[in-house]
Amino acid sequence: MKNHVIKGLFWLLLSFPAILMVRSFLQDDVLAMDMLHPSGETAVRLMILAMLPGPLSEFFGLNRFFKGWLKIRRNLGVAAFGYAMLHLIFYIFDMNSVVAMLEEFTIPGIWMGWLSLLLMLLPALISFDFAMRRLGRSWKNIQRLVYPALIIGLVHWILLDWAWQPAMVHLAPLMIVWILRYIGRRRRHRTQRSMT
Amino acid sequence: MKKISRKYTAAAAVIATMMLAQPAYADGDIKCDSGPTKDWKSIKKLKKKAWMEGWELLKTQVEGDCYEVYARTDSGQAIEAFFHPVTLKKLVVFRRGTEIYRAPGFKG
Repeated sequence: MKNHVIKGLFWLLLSFPAILMVRSFLQDDVLAMDMLHPSGETAVRLMILAMLPGPLSEFFGLNRFFKGWLKIRRNLGVAAFGYAMLHLIFYIFDMNSVVAMLEEFTIPGIWMGWLSLLLMLLPALISFDFAMRRLGRSWKNIQRLVYPALIIGLVHWILLDWAWQPAMVHLAPLMIVWILRYIGRRRRHRTQRSMT
Repeated sequence: MKKISRKYTAAAAVIATMMLAQPAYADGDIKCDSGPTKDWKSIKKLKKKAWMEGWELLKTQVEGDCYEVYARTDSGQAIEAFFHPVTLKKLVVFRRGTEIYRAPGFKG
């Protein structure tokens, strides 16, 4: 029971920015266009939050903090997908025409956004317990699609925003933990070799 | 072997990103050399100017020392256009990060 309450509150927290965005859009305070950036950026941030605890706990070892973080990793990932969908919905409202959307599909910044979303779709769809149990080891492999999804999503951002710095600032923490994981693996590999 | 290929993929991704980013970044920094704001034409006049282009106006704002207009063309293309605040001359038009128009001779 208590677990359910915590989970519910956590989801409420995750959806809070979305509620604010939708509310200000419905109240005509902002254009759909203005919501593209915040919704996309929130998706990216949640994705990064979901991708950090794995390498971090691998390098520093599993403690209570990382354990908790890993436990909510799936929620963060699903929420990231939710914000990416919201991003798409705002885009549809902004374009307001299927013909216009199809017409600009070939622009790199645009199709990369679609591709990134598509790559997130499968991992998000199999994010429930049953699929996780059923798929076993391949579940994790499918989840790895978030790596290309994130990179392509960031390129999509750079191409449309004319500035590479914000996207790179978001990538930086991941780069650091990926390097840490690489160092950790090499170190372990070496100690294993010297032991034999 | 597997390790090497993964490393190369990562490096290729980074380089591709950097290369794609470079021209994109250069586009964003439009300079209008427009002088003190007291000499600028009103936003109302800017709106009329954009309206005369046949665009559906979404938003106007000051970007750096330029006027910027977010609009939709008659064929539904989402565009961002930069206008000179004093002359209200259309200087540059972007569509989804790609430059689609530049006034002859404008280098800002």
